[in-house]
Amino acid sequence: MTGKKKNPTSLSERRKHFAWLIPLADLRLTLTFLSLSMVLVFVATLEQVRIGIRGAQAEFFESIYGIWHYPEQFWGGEFLNPLPIPIPGGYLLGGLLIVNLLAAFITRFQWTGKKMGIQLIHLGIIMLLIGQLATQAMQEESRMQIDKGESKNYLERFHGVELAFIDVTNPDSEQVVALPQQLLEEGGTHYAKDLPFKVRILEFGKNCEFNSLPPAQQPSGPTATVNRGVIESTNLEIRPKDEDFSSEGMNFGYVIFELLDGAESMGKWAAISHPAGNHWWAQINPKMGDLAFQPIRMGGRLWGVTLRPEREYLPYSIELLGIANEFYQGTDIPFNFESEIVLKMEANQSRRALVYMNTPLRHEGKTFYQYQMNKAADYTVFQVVRNPSWLVPYIACILVSIGLLWQFSFHLARFLNKNSGHKQSMA
Amino acid sequence: MPIWLFPLAAMYLLVSCGEDAGIRSYTAPNHYEGPVVAWKLPEQWGENPGMGGMMAGSFHVQTTDGPRGRIGVMPFRESVEATSIVNMFARELGHADYNNSSLKDLIKPKKLASRTFDLARLEDKTGKENPPRTALLAIYRQDAQTWLFPFIADRDLINEQLDNFYSFLQSTTLRAGKEPVRAIAPSLPSSPPSSTAHQPTWEAPEHWEQKPTTQMRIGNYAVTNDEGESLDFSITSFPGEVGGILANVNRWLGQVGIDKTDESGLSRYLSDRTIDEKPAKLVLAESDEQALYAAILFHEGRSWFLKLMGDVKLARLEKENFIGLIDSFCLGDH
Repeated sequence: MTGKKKNPTSLSERRKHFAWLIPLADLRLTLTFLSLSMVLVFVATLEQVRIGIRGAQAEFFESIYGIWHYPEQFWGGEFLNPLPIPIPGGYLLGGLLIVNLLAAFITRFQWTGKKMGIQLIHLGIIMLLIGQLATQAMQEESRMQIDKGESKNYLERFHGVELAFIDVTNPDSEQVVALPQQLLEEGGTHYAKDLPFKVRILEFGKNCEFNSLPPAQQPSGPTATVNRGVIESTNLEIRPKDEDFSSEGMNFGYVIFELLDGAESMGKWAAISHPAGNHWWAQINPKMGDLAFQPIRMGGRLWGVTLRPEREYLPYSIELLGIANEFYQGTDIPFNFESEIVLKMEANQSRRALVYMNTPLRHEGKTFYQYQMNKAADYTVFQVVRNPSWLVPYIACILVSIGLLWQFSFHLARFLNKNSGHKQSMA
Repeated sequence: MPIWLFPLAAMYLLVSCGEDAGIRSYTAPNHYEGPVVAWKLPEQWGENPGMGGMMAGSFHVQTTDGPRGRIGVMPFRESVEATSIVNMFARELGHADYNNSSLKDLIKPKKLASRTFDLARLEDKTGKENPPRTALLAIYRQDAQTWLFPFIADRDLINEQLDNFYSFLQSTTLRAGKEPVRAIAPSLPSSPPSSTAHQPTWEAPEHWEQKPTTQMRIGNYAVTNDEGESLDFSITSFPGEVGGILANVNRWLGQVGIDKTDESGLSRYLSDRTIDEKPAKLVLAESDEQALYAAILFHEGRSWFLKLMGDVKLARLEKENFIGLIDSFCLGDH
């Protein structure tokens, strides 16, 4: 008895083997997810006005679901606004679309040269979705501000602070022990081998208001128990506040902490982070200047404590040689910002570069974009992005392009063949 | 594992693959521009909380009778004359002003390890306390900056703690800053009021600029005008009578360029006044350029001085405000 040998990669075999995937590959699901994605984009765009880009991103795109309240200004808003409406988030829709596409790959697409274009297009789309997820998970955005004529070798995160203890006793180098924001949020008591004391985190907040009270008035709230440092000497009262996600939002993170020498308390301190840098404190109020460096002396060493934007030190430094900005004639609209820099690497290697709009500096996986500039104060600010998955969207686009070319070329060739065959038969 | 779980697992890994938060410890180039003053405290010493003003550190000696004495660390922005430092303490302890030649007999160099400190010892000449209140001053100069370490206590405690004081000085790390420190002038740290439950209150004119309080000045204001004239107003408190009215008034008269007076001549400057329902003295003295207006109140073993001093023209304009302030002064003990 002879029979046709079964091809395990044939569509019918795959559909039989992965029958349970067939409902997941339904085209109606794809359309539903794409429609929900449009709803998500619409809602997030509306909410961006209220909570800013970063807030909308966190609430709706970097989440499984987001809660939306129908705007009061819309028709029927006075009745519908109080209702919390769950909106599927970016992670959920992205994940479901990936599952849907993979299921379609297995149970709907023919794995033949004829259909290779379709497969490449969908593979490109899957890569785009995965690439976006990878970017959200791994991308780091920081800033680097450099004064003209000076060098910088560290970045400061746009978001996220650290409680840094700095031993400056040695004239050449400082020993830094930094507790990142996640540990401050978790609380608890922390110990590091380079720290001569333990740090007990009592309270942390991402934003606050503060006010210096007259000497006779006792502060209430988080600083009521603070008995050491600049907060105590300035009689500062802190009132916790919600984080401001808007683009102009100024978030003053704060932390209340206790230092312990063994089991014995050394006192309770508080620190506040200025969103524009702690060097601003002295300009707001000279008495608060120490918020950039509250001295703590122990064992013959001088430590300073400060709550500051999280820092990342680099194995190289950048020196700012000069800056230039140009505006469209007769307007305040910037035409060009540019910074002339020297990149100083290890082994005394260096290279000069010009960083300007759309022409960033790329070095060791980091991209330095021209971000801000102050000609009067002679400083420049770079936005520094590290995105290990930056190539993925490019590869995805190439795949989609090849797929489209393949598919259209295939149809074109078939059409031309068919057309020439028809002419020959007519002849 | 079903195949459709792979993308979900990959998603989870991607979303959760951020670095684990941990304490980071590293060294970096030193960017600190302030002065570095660090020390090791002798076991018997304790740190005073609530330190402020010009002091970088303030300590006491722990005894069976509780904390006694006061040791301080004061960095100065420049090379301050030794006479200026010593005279600030000397005046408060009833000494005549020292000049460069008389100071040579007072100052003894003390070599501790590789550094040499100038030591000056001053004992209270008013005879009010026994053993006498004593100030042992250690002055150290480096890179055009001056550090002062005053040890204020009774003579016996200072003698007993001399070795601890030296080991404390020896343990210090002192490095001049690249930016000026805030201290500008030394003064004798005073003992805190005996009762902290009752704090004095007063009402200062709104245009008087409040300055940071120090351990000596519980009230500290500056008054200026557009013509560059200025007044300094302070509220200070000391245990005992601090030399009495005549000694204090004569010291103040000297500061505004008026010759000293005697008991009989005091009435030219002194009048009676009631402050916070208690008998007090009002001092009004003016030279051609300077003026001194002060109120002196002795109550429950402490002296209170409310003193306005500065350019005479501005002082006359502010006289009513000064009187208003001393009338509003309340010790807060009733």
